[in-house]
Amino acid sequence: MQVSVETTGNIERKLSITVPAERVDGEVDKRLKSMRGRVKIDGFRPGKVPMSVVSQQYGDSVYQEVVGEIFQSTFYEAAEQEKLRVAGMPKIDATTLEPGKDLEYTATFDIYPEFEIGDISKMTVTKPVVKLAAADVDEMIETLRKQQQDWKEVKRAAKEGDLLVVDFNGKIDGEEFEGGAAQDFSVELGAGRMLQDFEDALTGMKPGSEKEADVTFPEEYPAENLKGKTAQFTLNVKTVSAPSLPKVDEDFIKKFGVEDGTSKSFKAEIKSNMQREVEQRIKSRIKQSVMEGLHDLHEIDLPTSLVEDEIKQVRSEMEQNSQGADMSSLPDDMFKDQAARRVKLGLIVGEVITKNKLEKDQARVDDMLNSLAASYEDPQALIEYYRSDQQAMQTIEAAVMEEMIVDWVLDKAKVEEETVKFTDLMNAQA
Amino acid sequence: MISKVEERLYQVLYGPHVTEKAVSGNESNTHVFKVATTATKGEIKTAVETLFEVKVADVRSVNVKGKSKNFGKRKGSRKDWKKAYVRLAEGSTLNVEAEG
Repeated sequence: MQVSVETTGNIERKLSITVPAERVDGEVDKRLKSMRGRVKIDGFRPGKVPMSVVSQQYGDSVYQEVVGEIFQSTFYEAAEQEKLRVAGMPKIDATTLEPGKDLEYTATFDIYPEFEIGDISKMTVTKPVVKLAAADVDEMIETLRKQQQDWKEVKRAAKEGDLLVVDFNGKIDGEEFEGGAAQDFSVELGAGRMLQDFEDALTGMKPGSEKEADVTFPEEYPAENLKGKTAQFTLNVKTVSAPSLPKVDEDFIKKFGVEDGTSKSFKAEIKSNMQREVEQRIKSRIKQSVMEGLHDLHEIDLPTSLVEDEIKQVRSEMEQNSQGADMSSLPDDMFKDQAARRVKLGLIVGEVITKNKLEKDQARVDDMLNSLAASYEDPQALIEYYRSDQQAMQTIEAAVMEEMIVDWVLDKAKVEEETVKFTDLMNAQA
Repeated sequence: MISKVEERLYQVLYGPHVTEKAVSGNESNTHVFKVATTATKGEIKTAVETLFEVKVADVRSVNVKGKSKNFGKRKGSRKDWKKAYVRLAEGSTLNVEAEG
């Protein structure tokens, strides 16, 4: 086998490989011989087909098959011989492809880029710092109260935030239209689920009162026949209910699983929950920041084949997230940036791991597993499940590796602390 | 334009006849063809010589009776056909199975 390497690009390499004829033809002969006993051809008893007829019939397809396999094996042999780290699948072009002749072909492919890990100490990682204030806890309790909100009927005029039960009947130019009338319809004022005009008209009405009002449908209204038209609505308000927030009392507290029902332990519970949430957010923020930093620190030529594979991956993930919507018509470019980013990070992370000989720390894996299990009803069962399932275990191990890399980076990089308000942290896109 | 004689040549040979027995003669340079029942030895000779560009030493031909088959109560028979043994002159080779 003769091999010559040609450097055609930064990371692109071209291998020209010549495989001697004997190697190919020998293999073809061997296969044909083993086929001879099995093939059935009209006019011959099984096993009595002469070699010449077998090779006549099957020679070409066997040759193709053998050549395909030889491409595979010789290519990797050659790559190893030349100490090239091949990324993705090579593109193979045969120059001579004829039985009885030396097989010559060229393989074009990308190699894994060689790069040095950049100077981590130049990197800045932002680390959000959050102080949970008493006000944050109070706010949280307020939110919880709103979730438990009750409606109480009142006799006053409706105002924003109220829940109204309404009969209405709408007409355009004296004619009724589809969806223009309803009985006992609930409207929450200020929630923005109805047209602005409609809600405005209802505001200030008392229970039991009746009113006529004009409602103009906006130009961008989805229904074709209503766009931009003005309808006359007869509104009949039956009841008006005001929201009433539950008091923070023993019953309320018990609903959240705090046994003794005192506001002190309730607050403590909420605070510890929030604290946990905050820690998680901070962790993921830091990770994001670290990855961002690593990404920006390095300039690498990415093997196209890897990026293309990743594009497929990203695409199929998108499809899953959008519940099977067909993404195959979208152009590759849409996914390219994200895919390239992932490939790049993958390369960097891989390099960091090998350079620093990071190994998964069994103790950390166990920790991670325990903390994950703690939130389940039967922690032991979950742990058993993970231990028995290779794949599930791998995701955990990957997460641990990630954490270790983050730690490693944090160790060297400049860490900038940034004080963030609790609400800002929670609302930001993680 | 193709002459009548040439046209006839293309209608003589139906194809190679490849069986254990037929292949056994390949070593003595004899190849077996299925041919038109109306073909004469001379026609077969010229047909093989022109179509495959070889020299033919001699041709022996044989009429094969079609088997009679019963289809239920009905009697039927397969077509009769003609088989030709073509011996090539020394120095000529032919890969019938490939070309037929």
